[in-house]
Amino acid sequence: MKNFKLKYVIVAAAIILAGIFPFITGEYYRHLGILTLMYAVLALSWDFAARAELVSFAHTGFFGLGAYTSALTFLKLGFPLYLSFAAAVLLTIVVAIALGYLTLRLSGIYFAIATLAFSEVLLVVALQLPNVTGGAMGISVPSLFGGMRVYSYCLILGILALAVVVSIYLERSHYHLAFSAMRTSPGAASVLGVNTVRYRLASFTLSAIFSCLAGAFYVHYTTTTIPYEAFSLTIGVASMVMAVLGGLYSTAGPVLGAIVLKIIEEYMRVTIPYGYMIIYGLILVAGILFLPKGLVGVQKKWKFLK
Amino acid sequence: MSAGQLFGQALINGILISGIYALAASGLALAFGVVKFLNLAHGEFLMLAAYLGIFLFSSYGLDPLLMTPVVFTLFFILGAVYYKTLVKPVLKAGELNQLLLTFGISIFLQNLALILFGGTIRTISVPYRTHTISFWGINFGTARLLILLLSIVLLVGLYQVLQRTRVGRSIRAVSQEPEGAALVGIDSEAVYLIALGIAVGFASVAGMMLSIIFHAEPMVGFNFTLKGLAVVVMAGLGNVYGVIWASLILGISESFIGVYLPNGTGWSGAIFFLMILGGLIIRHSRVSEV
Repeated sequence: MKNFKLKYVIVAAAIILAGIFPFITGEYYRHLGILTLMYAVLALSWDFAARAELVSFAHTGFFGLGAYTSALTFLKLGFPLYLSFAAAVLLTIVVAIALGYLTLRLSGIYFAIATLAFSEVLLVVALQLPNVTGGAMGISVPSLFGGMRVYSYCLILGILALAVVVSIYLERSHYHLAFSAMRTSPGAASVLGVNTVRYRLASFTLSAIFSCLAGAFYVHYTTTTIPYEAFSLTIGVASMVMAVLGGLYSTAGPVLGAIVLKIIEEYMRVTIPYGYMIIYGLILVAGILFLPKGLVGVQKKWKFLK
Repeated sequence: MSAGQLFGQALINGILISGIYALAASGLALAFGVVKFLNLAHGEFLMLAAYLGIFLFSSYGLDPLLMTPVVFTLFFILGAVYYKTLVKPVLKAGELNQLLLTFGISIFLQNLALILFGGTIRTISVPYRTHTISFWGINFGTARLLILLLSIVLLVGLYQVLQRTRVGRSIRAVSQEPEGAALVGIDSEAVYLIALGIAVGFASVAGMMLSIIFHAEPMVGFNFTLKGLAVVVMAGLGNVYGVIWASLILGISESFIGVYLPNGTGWSGAIFFLMILGGLIIRHSRVSEV
């Protein structure tokens, strides 16, 4: 029982720390905190798809789609901020369902290839329609909340909280059982009456929504983006590696992975300005080979945290 | 240039480039067909070989095309080591792990190249790089022609090996029915090793070709992974024989879009996506089994 309580103490401490963090630190750490939270959202969103045995590269595309839709509806159609977010989410849901309808019946590898191609093509479209998207020059929007980082922090913390709630719901509801069954044996799961395509579509769409929200937040927070950044595999890769490192199929894993990797990345960025992404490659390889359950799995081996 | 000549030129350019695509894709197809392993780091071997080609020419004046046998052997061994150390541990671990592992290796190698060689585009000019031969007003780049010929020789060689030799028959047997092959005494471990060796070897030859007609930069390989995937998907995953016509379709359609669409060279980078999506949907009923 004592150990059982300790888990809640840690969670409570994490929540309090996340809440007071922007008020006790300076601008630089606030900025770092905001980006870390955004990556935590992305890592969780990638994990949503992974839970249904989907290796999705589409979150890169949805991140960019969210960024561009939100920025363009805000700039060109004069939508207020919340409506521009809503427009981005709506479009993402439509695209995710359409893409899912076409690809979700495919088995793992084919799905991965199709989503990779999807993201790459959105990049080409963003580059090739300069009249709409600004082409390679990208787009600029006014800064979020007049540059008040505390508010930005609260917004992204709110989005992360929403993602965490969804994730916990997925873990505690029938989704969890369906996902585990599909991961163990998709064939057996569907024979037993699990509608695998429907569950995949649900997890894929949820994944897309949170990637899109992260993207929409990102463009307003950084005030400017270009196609090569918004649709870059770099951001997609980072969130994927964070989930793998922290521990797949869990709520704490991707969030923990985001925090750990963002700290490492920030250190690496200073030491190796070009090619700091090498650490992501290394961690992905090492994580798959040696840490199949991620940091959360390691932590479970420590008795006092059980 | 008349309309007919323009059409002919676009067609020829497409055909000339498809040799590289076929070489890059046949390695992917072989690895997938035989080892049942999708190697997302395939293009990175191409990228490394392109740097090697540039290094050989600029430091020692060695022509990359003439060095093909040496480089192929070198990368064959590299492929075998790659199989033994990294691929084998995840072969039975499921698709998710395979994809993430090879994607990790791809990111690692891209950034290693970025750290070692910098992000700048590197080119070499072999004497025949800009030389062209003209027929009926259509230009054939000599370098591209040589490359296409070399690709044809290598692919025909591969098919001959697969069809006529004992090793080739073992490879096909393992590809079709791994358990049956094991029952009749074929060492599937050795077959996997050879298949991955050839796959990486072919990627290296394509990389050498890239160094002559294109350039080397850290991200160049990943493009070829994507295009190779498009070709492989269209040919049917693992189908080594379908690679040729699928490469021709990719090369020619890219070339036509580049010529005939306004601002077409930018759009031609998206055609592989349509091939992937089209290929997957058309083959939908078949692929769901794999």
